[in-house]
Amino acid sequence: MSRGSEKTDESPKWMNFRSLLVFSMFLRVFLIIYGEWQDAHMEVRYTDVDYMVFSDAASLMASGESPYKRTTYRYSPLLAFILIPNSIIHRSWGKFLFSASDLLVGWFIHKILKQRNVPEKICTYSVMVWLFNPFTFTIGTRGNCEPLVCAMVLWIIISLMKGNLSQAAFWYGLVVHFRVYPIIYALPIILVLDSQIFRSGQKPPLEDWNTGKAKTTTSNTEKKPLHFNLLTALKSLFSRERIMFALISGGVFLACNAISFYFYGHEFLHEALLYHLTRTDPRHNFSIYFYHIYLHYERQFSAVEKLISFLPQFTVQFALVFCFYQDLVFCIFLQTVAFVAFNKVITAQYFVWFYCLLPLILPWSRMKLKWEGLLCIIIWIGAQTHWLLWGYMLEFKGVNVFLKLWMASLLFLAANTFVLVKIIQRHQFSPLFRRFRSLSPKM
Amino acid sequence: MATQRQSSVISLIFIYCAISSTSSSQQCSDKIDQNIVPAISSLLQHRRNITGEGSHRNLITSIKLLLQSESQFNELVIVERLPLGVFADPFELQSLQQRKVFSDVSVFGDTNLELPSFRSNRSVVEIHVDMSSRDYEHGEISLKLPLHARYQPLHDSGYSRVEFGEPDLFLCSSHLPNQGHEQRRCLVLSIGGLKTEAISVFWDIPAGIRDHTEYVSAFTFAAAVLSAFSILVVSVLSSKVESCKNSKQS
Repeated sequence: MSRGSEKTDESPKWMNFRSLLVFSMFLRVFLIIYGEWQDAHMEVRYTDVDYMVFSDAASLMASGESPYKRTTYRYSPLLAFILIPNSIIHRSWGKFLFSASDLLVGWFIHKILKQRNVPEKICTYSVMVWLFNPFTFTIGTRGNCEPLVCAMVLWIIISLMKGNLSQAAFWYGLVVHFRVYPIIYALPIILVLDSQIFRSGQKPPLEDWNTGKAKTTTSNTEKKPLHFNLLTALKSLFSRERIMFALISGGVFLACNAISFYFYGHEFLHEALLYHLTRTDPRHNFSIYFYHIYLHYERQFSAVEKLISFLPQFTVQFALVFCFYQDLVFCIFLQTVAFVAFNKVITAQYFVWFYCLLPLILPWSRMKLKWEGLLCIIIWIGAQTHWLLWGYMLEFKGVNVFLKLWMASLLFLAANTFVLVKIIQRHQFSPLFRRFRSLSPKM
Repeated sequence: MATQRQSSVISLIFIYCAISSTSSSQQCSDKIDQNIVPAISSLLQHRRNITGEGSHRNLITSIKLLLQSESQFNELVIVERLPLGVFADPFELQSLQQRKVFSDVSVFGDTNLELPSFRSNRSVVEIHVDMSSRDYEHGEISLKLPLHARYQPLHDSGYSRVEFGEPDLFLCSSHLPNQGHEQRRCLVLSIGGLKTEAISVFWDIPAGIRDHTEYVSAFTFAAAVLSAFSILVVSVLSSKVESCKNSKQS
């Protein structure tokens, strides 16, 4: 989405945001109805197996039992609670809910970009990257709950942009209870809550798209070095805004866990929280660690081995945060891609976590679709496809291709690294917020 | 990978076992009811086979059983003791039951679908088939039990062999609920544990190779470190470049 090729808003009328949203809505409704037909008439089901797990857990909860009696239900009881209507109204209730969240993500993307004065045409293209991504519109209609998490994450960004810290903190505590992985956003959010940016009763000034374009000539924004200043951070570490955010989000997180523990005890703790923190799966998945874990599964890993395997993830997360936290949306996008790439277990549904953030960084990317963008897409999808071919040979043909499958996962990590590096190199750094003291342009 | 086994068993006299089902107890009588035996004497053929490819296959059990029309024994019960390396998905079997493939089905034992075989225990699947409602030619019923492979213990050859024993087969009378003291009668057609034939059905499942351990671990960590280092260098350099640009512009 290079600024160099930007034209005035001359997109066709059919391509306005409202019509795209309406079309997307009808597409999702159609897919949900089609999914019901396929489930009833074909051996291969359209519905995700996870949706059956959620529905069974919701049904157990509706009968007054623990949702954790359903094996492999490893989510917050909140998810089962909101799916109780599956047993009362219709089994597709959850799919409609997740697809509505999916559309909400599209709306939030548009809202965030408009708040930063991104031209309408670029906004529309960015939204289309989410709404018409085949992966995203099938994931909600198949009954996967990730669009709900994505909507919450984007709402947190919107709340921060409005200066509504309490609201952002509330939803942050809730989303971490719901899905754990957003805990990685804690540090950049805390760092960006600068008292020079967030002041009581005032909406924080946003760095908009046009200002970023003007930065190549004059700049009235951040004059400080963009890399992390340790001394300054230490001085303002315990600002009122940071303490408030931490207390509210932490309080909400603990309250949700306490209520869940009250009703479901250790089952909740183990299945919904500890399982995700300690999960190692020897079964084949995209992660480079799967075969290493399988070969060592007959014996337990030592604490040192676990720590060593966590170091690359830890290092990358900290590097990305300290280099890019001011450009908050870009930072959390990079963190999410890296988190998934270096995780011990990678399944395709995790990709949605960064798909929803990708449209938010595209307007600031100097990468052109032809041909650099296409190259990145081809390399990333190609590496996935390569892995899937070996996975098919193992799982559906019963051929021992463990070594080749593991090599394919190494290749997938290389592809992720390549794409990440390219995105960083082509990004026009633009802090999300401006400091109050630098608002007046120099004459 | 799979072998086909065919055996013929001719049973003229059956062990008659009356099973009384109440809410709290079961009794077994060894009284032979002469009215029952002629009604169910039949030629019993029993075939076993594993079909399909990969980690998801079907255990086919074909039973040839001729019943007299007035026979009260119209439910076939198969008790399948699964070996350690495979499992049956209870929810998949439930959906088969809902589609009337089986009249009833239950899984007992280890139903954890995710554990490898060396961390799991065995399971037993009990299948009920209502023979009066099934169409079968020449008295043959074919049952397909979907099974899934667990991750196997490491093996030098790269494959681990899982062998299936014989199922227990029963022929039972109709289940009559809500009639106070319920009486169900079952005939034991075959007990799997008593079979002594050497040929069995087996499934070779891919397994990790222990010799791979060292270099897989080494290259895995090397790849992780290299990728992390690349991202670290590019991040620091990019942020420094942006910093220099802004310093020059201001």
